Amino acid sequence: MGRIVLENVTKSFGETQVIPPLNLEIDDGEFAVFVGPSGCGKSTLLRLIAGLEDTTSGRILIDDADVTEVSPSKRGLSMVFQTYALYPHMTVRKNIAFPMRMAGLSEEEQEKRIMTAAESLNLVDYLDRKPGQLSGGQRQRVAIGRAIVRDPSAFLFDEPLSNLDAALRVGMRLEITEMHERMQTTMIYVTHDQVEAMTMANKIVVLRAGVIEQVGSPLELYRAPQNLFVAGFIGSPKMNLIDGPQAQKHGATTIGVRPEHIDVVESGGAWTGTVGVAEHLGSDTFFYVHGTGLAETLTVRAIGDVSLKHGDPIQLAPRATEIHRFDADGLRLP
Amino acid sequence: MSNRTLPRLLQTPAVILLLIWMLVPLSMTLYFSFIRYVLNNLRRPEWTTPSIENWRGFGNYNFVLNNQDFWLAVQNSLLIVCSILFLTVILGVLIAVLINKAFPGRSLVRVLLISPFFVMPAVNAVLWINMILDPVLGLQGLAVGGINAVIADLQNAPIIGPFFSLWPALEPISFRATQTSAYAVIIMVTWQWTPFAVLIFMTSLQSEDQQQKEAAILDGASAWSQFRFLTLPHLGRPIAIVVMIQAIFHLSLYAEIEIVSRGNGNKNLPYLIGEFANNNIGAASATGIFAVILANIVAIFLLRMIGKTLME
Repeated sequence: MGRIVLENVTKSFGETQVIPPLNLEIDDGEFAVFVGPSGCGKSTLLRLIAGLEDTTSGRILIDDADVTEVSPSKRGLSMVFQTYALYPHMTVRKNIAFPMRMAGLSEEEQEKRIMTAAESLNLVDYLDRKPGQLSGGQRQRVAIGRAIVRDPSAFLFDEPLSNLDAALRVGMRLEITEMHERMQTTMIYVTHDQVEAMTMANKIVVLRAGVIEQVGSPLELYRAPQNLFVAGFIGSPKMNLIDGPQAQKHGATTIGVRPEHIDVVESGGAWTGTVGVAEHLGSDTFFYVHGTGLAETLTVRAIGDVSLKHGDPIQLAPRATEIHRFDADGLRLP
Repeated sequence: MSNRTLPRLLQTPAVILLLIWMLVPLSMTLYFSFIRYVLNNLRRPEWTTPSIENWRGFGNYNFVLNNQDFWLAVQNSLLIVCSILFLTVILGVLIAVLINKAFPGRSLVRVLLISPFFVMPAVNAVLWINMILDPVLGLQGLAVGGINAVIADLQNAPIIGPFFSLWPALEPISFRATQTSAYAVIIMVTWQWTPFAVLIFMTSLQSEDQQQKEAAILDGASAWSQFRFLTLPHLGRPIAIVVMIQAIFHLSLYAEIEIVSRGNGNKNLPYLIGEFANNNIGAASATGIFAVILANIVAIFLLRMIGKTLME
């Protein structure tokens, strides 16, 4: 069980309110990702749930029990930190055993759980090593192992992959998603990387300056961003945002078109420009187009290898059905 | 020239300087310890110049070993060093943990805590032995006198008087007496060197990983468990450093012993060397060699201990 509800939660550090009243529900077994630029309060929110920070006002409920005043260890949550926070002078075995030792579990039970966790995380050969002798990915797995053995009602991840290199990050991303599928435990995952959010989440919570901008499944956010911020944040490469006369033609202050929704055509394109940098990835080609008179740079994605070079003229045709329209306040128009 | 020769050549002056720095005094001490060499002797004026013709073999060593003060000095050196190490490390850890938390006036408290370290050893000894530990005029004497006066008054009081009449009058401790002067030295040096330990432990505590602590809180560790399983192991290395540095310094304590008791029943090896060196340079040198051996034994012992904590 692990249904987490935040009711009018606020947090202030001194005079500054970093989280204005905020409401959020995370259902049992959900994989919720808090995503936003750095300083948006997503880590603070996670720490509030964990109990490492005290709420200034509002209530936090876990499985309908008010835990706002409950100490962190009694909330039944496990947390995985960005820096792993392993105990450096203990072996992997002792690290994983630590929460059980604090809870006073019997030696046999500890050993049993350690072996189960170590087997599922491929750590059996490293149990007697110190964290200093492990690679980044292995340390991350030990931190996860330490979180698993407590059998928590929810896992909290605070940017767990940002200290890993790109290849390992993709691998660990899959492992954590796989772990969630297997265990079906609630997980809350904080990241600034929208790719991680899109690939892992059931529910994405986009935050800006402590305010929830939008909550929804990855594809809801991709298809129908509620405002300009979410539109610019979700999707890679970023959505092209165009204002001025072109937008007014669609009856909006700003329109947005994703790079993958602009086709490169031989002739008869609505927009024309000059190719700036062209990134040939083989499977796709990204063009950074200048001189369209719409925005400084338009990003366009073409499927496959399109042989246009720097300085070539290009004709573009946006798909009319995929144009997002926003009003003067940056809110989505239907 | 191979690519190793140049660096080695460039290191040579430093290495040679260091060797001279260490080897010359050591070999001179060794040389003096094997000859008869005194500063003043009217009957045998030839002994007042160091010369190989005054060869005495192990005579000086024999003389030192048979000196009634030698084993007392060795014992006393070890007692003083070990007690000071024990006290400063424990007090240092406790105070460092205490002032690591934020509280108003913390920076002032820190400066005040460090200040005993800036007092000169001789001044420190004079202050303690005369103003604090003196059995009559020092704080100790005044406190004991005050308590005795209160008890005397209570003995005359009705009802509770008979109970207090069973109490003996307290005797102030004379720290200049032979048995207790070592304790006076231990107290005053501990007072002076605890700040050093606090300083080292405090910097180390500030580098302690806060996320580890938070992880431990979530893992259900109590404040004591956090101290025992995170902070103490984290302090292992600085404790080893404090022990090592202080052992080196306190094996050569001199000023405090001179001022407290003039070596009266409380000598350590440096003090014994100083006494011999009033006239008998040969015996002083032999004692010096014993001191080097003792320092090496202590160093090996400490290095083992440090090595163990570092390996863990």
